[in-house]
Amino acid sequence: MDRHKILRVVILVIIIILMSRAAYLQLARGDYYYQLSEGNRISVRPINAPRGRIYDRRGEIIVSNRLTYNLYLMQNEIPPDRSTKEILTKLSGLSSLAESRLISNYNNAEADTAVDPILLARHLSKEDMVIIAENKDILPGLLVKESSMRDYIYPTELVHATGYTGEISEQELISYNEAGYNYRGGDFVGKGGLEKEYEFYLNGERGAEQIEVNSRGQKIKTIGIKKPKPGSDLVLNIDFSLQSSVEKLLQENYQKLRELAAEDEERSMPTGIAAVVMDIDTGGILSSVSLPDYNLNLFAKGISSSDYQELVNDPLRPLINRTTMTAVPPGSIFKLVTGTAAMEELGVRANTTFYDSNGTFYIPNWSRPFRNWNPVGEGKLDFVKAIARSNNIVFYELGYELYKEYNGEKLAEYARKYGLGSKTGIDLPSEKSGLVPDDQWKRNQLNVGWYPGDSVNLSIGQGSLLTTPVQIASLISAVAAEGLAYKPQLVNKIINADGEIVKEFNPEINIDLRNQIDSNVFAALKQGMYDVVNKSYGTASRHFSDFPLTVAGKTGTAQTGASNHAWFGGFVPYDNPQIAVVVFIENGDSSAYSVPIAREIMKYYFGLKNHHNNNKKIYYYNREDDIE
Amino acid sequence: MNWNKKFLRYLNFNVPLAVILLIIIGFVSISSAVEINQVDSGALRFLQKQAVSVVLGLLVVFILQAFDYKIFKEYAAIIYILMLLMLTATIFLGQGVSGGAHWISIGAFNLQTSELSKIMLILVLAAVIDNNSDDMGYLKGMFLPSVTAFIPFVLVILQNDLGTALVLFFIYLVMLFAGGGNLKYMAAVFGGGFLFIVLLITAHVMLDTPLPFLKEYQLNRLIVFINPNIDPHGSGYNIIQSIIALGSGRTFGKGLFAGTQNQLNFLPEKHTDFIFSVIGEEFGFLGSAVVILLFLYLLWQFLNIAENARDRYGYLVVIGVMAMFLFHVLENVGMTMGIMPITGIPLPFISYGGTFMLTSLTAVAIVINVNLRKNKLMF
Repeated sequence: MDRHKILRVVILVIIIILMSRAAYLQLARGDYYYQLSEGNRISVRPINAPRGRIYDRRGEIIVSNRLTYNLYLMQNEIPPDRSTKEILTKLSGLSSLAESRLISNYNNAEADTAVDPILLARHLSKEDMVIIAENKDILPGLLVKESSMRDYIYPTELVHATGYTGEISEQELISYNEAGYNYRGGDFVGKGGLEKEYEFYLNGERGAEQIEVNSRGQKIKTIGIKKPKPGSDLVLNIDFSLQSSVEKLLQENYQKLRELAAEDEERSMPTGIAAVVMDIDTGGILSSVSLPDYNLNLFAKGISSSDYQELVNDPLRPLINRTTMTAVPPGSIFKLVTGTAAMEELGVRANTTFYDSNGTFYIPNWSRPFRNWNPVGEGKLDFVKAIARSNNIVFYELGYELYKEYNGEKLAEYARKYGLGSKTGIDLPSEKSGLVPDDQWKRNQLNVGWYPGDSVNLSIGQGSLLTTPVQIASLISAVAAEGLAYKPQLVNKIINADGEIVKEFNPEINIDLRNQIDSNVFAALKQGMYDVVNKSYGTASRHFSDFPLTVAGKTGTAQTGASNHAWFGGFVPYDNPQIAVVVFIENGDSSAYSVPIAREIMKYYFGLKNHHNNNKKIYYYNREDDIE
Repeated sequence: MNWNKKFLRYLNFNVPLAVILLIIIGFVSISSAVEINQVDSGALRFLQKQAVSVVLGLLVVFILQAFDYKIFKEYAAIIYILMLLMLTATIFLGQGVSGGAHWISIGAFNLQTSELSKIMLILVLAAVIDNNSDDMGYLKGMFLPSVTAFIPFVLVILQNDLGTALVLFFIYLVMLFAGGGNLKYMAAVFGGGFLFIVLLITAHVMLDTPLPFLKEYQLNRLIVFINPNIDPHGSGYNIIQSIIALGSGRTFGKGLFAGTQNQLNFLPEKHTDFIFSVIGEEFGFLGSAVVILLFLYLLWQFLNIAENARDRYGYLVVIGVMAMFLFHVLENVGMTMGIMPITGIPLPFISYGGTFMLTSLTAVAIVINVNLRKNKLMF
């Protein structure tokens, strides 16, 4: 072949190579590169959705949002001749933002693609925003975007129920996104309380602005906007004016009781206080207070780790919601359960009489004495009076009889019928289920069997039995409504940004004993509870003299070795029960301190005058009438 | 003057036809690349300058036909001296961008001397090879052509114009081959040179020895050519963006003025070196194929003309021109497709750039000159 022909072949080969490459890029891989060119051209900037707000039952706003500005880095908008590090250095030189912080935020960001915005800083100051805007040309790829932060109208009220928000953790990010939600690192999510429980309702859907950018990252035009979907609002069953009054009442009492305890070394120092007001007809929680609490504003901008450590390490554990997360023995309130079992299983009637000769009970052939709170024998009393007097001797005997007949399982069975030992299902995270001890449990835990003494102890709500205030509210409610109790519920309905009801919580029956337990039983129990408050010998009657409402209730003082927990659970009005009220004072010494608080709560609820700001001191701080 | 009306009978019309089509395509794509569709783009200025070059070039095409190309052979020595002076002057007086001294200003015009040197080398080299044609099979015959090419090659390298140096080398290689050069020696020169460069670069990268010819950025271009993703925002950026532009044109393209890579400035040097990417993006595979096949068509005609040249000098000149265009097309189009390293040499007739347009049209003028005077019996 002559050289001229070879030249023709060379030309042909070169042309064929070029043609094949063009065909490969444009025909075979065209769609791929088209996508890439679209990705080049189009930047998607986030539009943050405000979190849903929280209202009380009357529409008063409790938790809202405030406008704040976040700084994002759009990696795909950085021109090729600029480096991210250099831009961040320049930014920190111009603004008040610390370089180390910016760089660590940048490094820690988990951007899957160059299109994902990286959160560099939250809550920009006005000065920094101006600086960033003025230096737009030398600070490409930076984007200031509106965002919302929590605005707590009442930062120290309803704290535990509301809960707080914080930056999403890695685990939450993974599990939420696996569940099909669209979260990004740096998002704020509910960490406790309703904020956590209703996270997926409260959290809206982030919107996006699709813009066309040129190679210098400058916006040319908006291509499309996907509007953000604000989170849905929660409407609570909480009555905020009641809530506020109860908060204040408990706060004052808590302070006062701690002051008095500090002065009187015989008194134990209260370490917390809680109150629950529940609507008996629906289970709706009208008020829920737990002290000590904390200031929600600490969390609004994201809590500092030192502040958080301080809260976590506080021996009084302010982060704990004592209405649902604290489970302790209920003391004599449990006599309602023992009474139910006795009437159902032992044939005890309202007028069945018992005899307390010397305030001491012995299990046959055992030497250990079980004592009444009253060291003097109370003589002859019937079942109803035994409740009103909270006479331990009678209930010891019933506990022992139940043990004899049924080997100690019966009492636990009735406790469970009333929902003890399991979560009430209140719409709050981390609710404790408490504990109803039985033979099986004792064998597993302590490796010993159930003794008659265990039943006797349990019959007055002592020992290993653990209940939360909200469980007790449920128990009181079940007795008041004669066998029917609804699931405690904080949120009444959820309303989306368009005002449509997304979800409405209809009362849900939790406990229904109407077919299992005779109505005479409830009548007798209620009579006993009525007498507690209204008969001169009732354990709470002292605090209700001349009280305009007909109240029924049960006191409880749970011994825990060193100190006692103080309880009171009651309902009102007696004839037509509307609300159940539970007051619990952790290490509160005696129910003498919990009863007057419950009384005040009932007053608030029914709008009675003569409030706590009355000059006449209505609190009962005197120990001399120390009653069960 | 040497003109005969009968010459026109020999004119291969395919050549001017292909050239005119390519120039038209060039004007359309430059318009898009300089964003003539946008207000205040200043695009008109580019088109005017390009038009002036085309008109000047066409004048050259016409005027040159009045002379017999043999005068280039006669004045080869003078052309060569002129070329060396010009290139040397550029090194000392020249101005340029990005580390290179590429042009000297003559009035309003910036003359890129290295561009002109391509055509000058072709004319001189053809003469030298022709004069030594009997000895081309031996080292003796290959020596003078090699020295003739080597001196301007070094001068261009000193201007930091690697692209043009490669063009000169390719022209030399192809002309030597067509002129009957000994293949063994050519292979040795080519292979040895290649090996030398590879060694130099390897030593530089591994042992940090100085690079005599390449600047750091040129080396980077070579490295990112092998893997553009090493530095996607730096040296690799151009390749990546160019491939995206081309590929995203798919079959029929995004339409004139509708190429986002082009219009939003993701494409670098888009009206000069990367004009082919604009064509590929806006006119798709269809556009790319038309341009590539037009070049094939043109080069094919060149070979036909060469075959029928009146004498060996004419033959070698046309082969040289063919080699110049072939290398430009291969290197420029190949670079936009990521199969050749970026060296910054333009696409003939299409890229914006006055001197090279002038050079290209002069080259075409010479080819036509050879074409018109193909019949030896005319004289």
